[in-house]
Amino acid sequence: MVESKHKWKAWLYLAPAIVLLLIFTVWPIINTIRMSLLENYSTMGFVGGARYEFGIGNFKQVLEYQNFLTCLKNTMLLCVLTVPISTFLALLIAVCLNAIKPLQRFLQTVFFLPYVTNSIAIGMVFAAMFNMVGTAFGTESELVITAGIINNVIEFFGGTAINWINAGSSYWANIAVLVIYTVWNALPFKILILLGGLQSVNKQYYDAAKVDGTRRVRVFTRITVPLLSPMLAYVVITGFIGGFKEYSNIVGIFGDDMGPTGDPGRLNTMVGFIYDALSNYQGRASAAALILFGIIFIVTMINLYVSKKKTHF
Amino acid sequence: MKVVLQNLTKIFPGRNKKVQEEVVAVNDFTFTIPDGKLIGLLGPSGCGKSTTLYMISGLQKPTGGKIFFGDDDVTELAAENRGVGLVFQNYALYPHMTVKQNIMFPLQNLRGEDKLTKEDMIERAYYAAKLVQIDELMDRKPSELSGGQQQRVAIARALVKMPKVLLLDEPLSNLDARLRLQTREEIRRIQKETGITTIFVTHDQEEAMSISDMIVVMKLGVVQQIGAPQEVYDDPTNLFVAKFLGTPPINVFEGSVKAEKLYIGDAAVLDVPGIDDRDVTVGIRPEGFVIDENGPFVCGLNSVEVMGRDVSVVCNHAASLNPVIRAIVDADNKVAAGATVSYSLKPHKVFLFSKEDETRLRFEVK
Amino acid sequence: MSNIETKTMHEKDMKKVSSQQRVGKFVAKFLVYAFLIIMAIIIIFPFYWMLISSVKSLDEYKLAIPTLWPKTILLSNYVEAFNQANLGTLFLNTMYVGLVSTLLSLVITVISAFAFARLEFKGKNALFAALLATMMIPGELFTITNYATVNTFGWMNSFVVLIVPFLVSVFYIYLLRQNFLQIPNELYLAAKVDGTSDIKYLWKVMIPLALPTLISITILKMMGAWNSYVWPRLVANDEAHQLITNGLRNAFTESTGDVNIPVQMAAVAIVSLPLFLVFVFLRKYIMKGVSRSGIKG
Repeated sequence: MVESKHKWKAWLYLAPAIVLLLIFTVWPIINTIRMSLLENYSTMGFVGGARYEFGIGNFKQVLEYQNFLTCLKNTMLLCVLTVPISTFLALLIAVCLNAIKPLQRFLQTVFFLPYVTNSIAIGMVFAAMFNMVGTAFGTESELVITAGIINNVIEFFGGTAINWINAGSSYWANIAVLVIYTVWNALPFKILILLGGLQSVNKQYYDAAKVDGTRRVRVFTRITVPLLSPMLAYVVITGFIGGFKEYSNIVGIFGDDMGPTGDPGRLNTMVGFIYDALSNYQGRASAAALILFGIIFIVTMINLYVSKKKTHF
Repeated sequence: MKVVLQNLTKIFPGRNKKVQEEVVAVNDFTFTIPDGKLIGLLGPSGCGKSTTLYMISGLQKPTGGKIFFGDDDVTELAAENRGVGLVFQNYALYPHMTVKQNIMFPLQNLRGEDKLTKEDMIERAYYAAKLVQIDELMDRKPSELSGGQQQRVAIARALVKMPKVLLLDEPLSNLDARLRLQTREEIRRIQKETGITTIFVTHDQEEAMSISDMIVVMKLGVVQQIGAPQEVYDDPTNLFVAKFLGTPPINVFEGSVKAEKLYIGDAAVLDVPGIDDRDVTVGIRPEGFVIDENGPFVCGLNSVEVMGRDVSVVCNHAASLNPVIRAIVDADNKVAAGATVSYSLKPHKVFLFSKEDETRLRFEVK
Repeated sequence: MSNIETKTMHEKDMKKVSSQQRVGKFVAKFLVYAFLIIMAIIIIFPFYWMLISSVKSLDEYKLAIPTLWPKTILLSNYVEAFNQANLGTLFLNTMYVGLVSTLLSLVITVISAFAFARLEFKGKNALFAALLATMMIPGELFTITNYATVNTFGWMNSFVVLIVPFLVSVFYIYLLRQNFLQIPNELYLAAKVDGTSDIKYLWKVMIPLALPTLISITILKMMGAWNSYVWPRLVANDEAHQLITNGLRNAFTESTGDVNIPVQMAAVAIVSLPLFLVFVFLRKYIMKGVSRSGIKG
């Protein structure tokens, strides 16, 4: 290494990064902890010269707050549903892609397509697909209505149309739409990582299994999945982290109201809760953000612990 | 079970898509491998020996020709249905399974009438492990084993289902010299004990010669010679085989035959009855030289290397096609220090080859 | 034990096995392709639906039995969408923010990565580890304080607020530092001996060698500006500084109920088009960047 005569040079190069990080990263970390520990803290309060007591009141308040519990429930539910579904589907698609030769590159491109999308914009497309246009529950004079393409398909196969996202829709119908959209959105990244993992697995393991007369299902469960377990762990961990920070997919479909017309906030998430409290209740927002960080940290640690036990070789 | 290869051919399409260039990896290979023998496929890299092995295993499909196991045509049969055992060059042990799980894996795949009970599987796994002397290591992961141990596990895994044919791809190439010597004896012993028809691939002629019942020498996809190791060594059919077998390698010279006498340089060194007058390539095994003060073959002396039992005499000659000539003579021979050394030749250690196509020209040995 | 030795595998009817195996192989191939193609259609469908809906008339869109191909192609939806959402201004705003922040971010990333990869100074490793540690913290945690900070600075509703807080990405510094480290140090020493300045060396040697990473960073950063929603909504939601995603969402607040979906879809298609073009032409870099990073652009 070069023993630089001018040590200040390194610091000069790093100065812009360090200054910006101090202001926008380091200070926020300290300040968030500080604000979360000041009871009922609000920056607006300073105008009136208010003083705050130290304490864990914000945390207590947040955890007792019905709205926060709804957000926590929604977030957890989306995580628990979307991560396993998208991981399993991605694994299946990656394994199938890895097994074919013709069309492989083409299909790979198709499956990557949702990655480069604007989640708000495409959320609006999904909303349109599930949306009923015209007032289905309105007056009889309304002649042209569409139940939305998804309902059209369901009716085509003999099912009955469901009110997915419109006013009066059920909570579970909303969740179903969100799960479908989130999985659709999460697939490309997972497929990319898993396919990369599969392509780096030594082909000889498969040859060896073949010579030993291993059936396809057994090759999948006993060889592919264990050898892929580091990538699977990575995909699951990032999936959970992303899932706990879920926000813009819901805005994409339901708008800023975070719920169907007539029931705003029903589908709000933890990140949504933080943003709602951000301008007027910084203490509460900070406490919620630290709780979110805590949850993500714990879930990641659990995941790492489990995957370390399972992928040890 | 005997294995019959009938006009076996494998052609790979060229890598370059624009130029339709095909690579003939194996060309018209016909050979019957007798039941219960150990066969070595031998040749330099790219000679098609591994391709042949993989075609027998079913992992690669031949372009032409047929493969029979016994009387059954298995050419179209996929690897999983052939019931062969295969040991890969770098072993391909499943890294996430213990030794025991690795060995039992093939047994757990057996279906129908071959299906085994759990106890049978464990018994057979331990039997295979004992055979290769790794029964102490059953609960280790492959990453915790040495190269030699991994190699044994790979053999145990291939043997455990008692395959009809055992295939080994360069089984010793990843081992150090001492372990290689030991393991090749082991392979020989295991093969004898189990009586399984075994085919192994190697580029190391010494390895092939030392343990095989028969060797097949290949070059660029074409079989050069098939026979017992000693037979092939003593009676090579062409210059390639003669050069490929033997350490130190055979000494090659430019020569000519005049009036049934072999000339190297200006000296008539040997009587070669039955050969017409022509230019030839001469191969002389290192052990074909006999130190003889009145010998007709005079070489410049470079150095003498004492190797205990034998003495290696390094010398030179204008007609030699190798940089130096190596002669192995008994240590009892006193090599007189001087500028030259004279030899007479053992006729059965001297081979003549056509200069045009390098095939052997046989003369009568009195 | 002796019975084990002699018990080799059962003989099979090779002909039967052979034909079974061929059928099995065919069925497996068929199932694999069927699954992949069905999944591909599901993945593609929203894009398809967006495009065909965007050229339908509202009446055609509302038909109880939908048309899979529009009867009349109505490009006026695009004109209407463009005007209704004021997409021209939004586009210019976004490009401005994207280009300026990418450029400044690249400069900061390159010189920081260079310092970490090539220069020796006290506390380097500790500093680098501290930087990496901040990557674990969810961004939302910073947002709360940053919101107050930019308010104090008086940056609300300006371009500065959209650019400055996100100029430093620890992850990009990390990525580029790894890339720089792969370049042999001897090159740097040789340059020093020749009296080449650091900046010249960076420009002539390191940057060309790290170009693929820099391109990946550029693309991800540009896509970030194009897709960012939360922060701009908080701090710059006025018409003059709005970015494209916010503008889109604000122009069509209703996405459920009785709204003019074809015009909405036209707007969405316009917003999606640049991303699609980037994808088509720079897929290699995006995929490379993504598989190393695991972050959403």
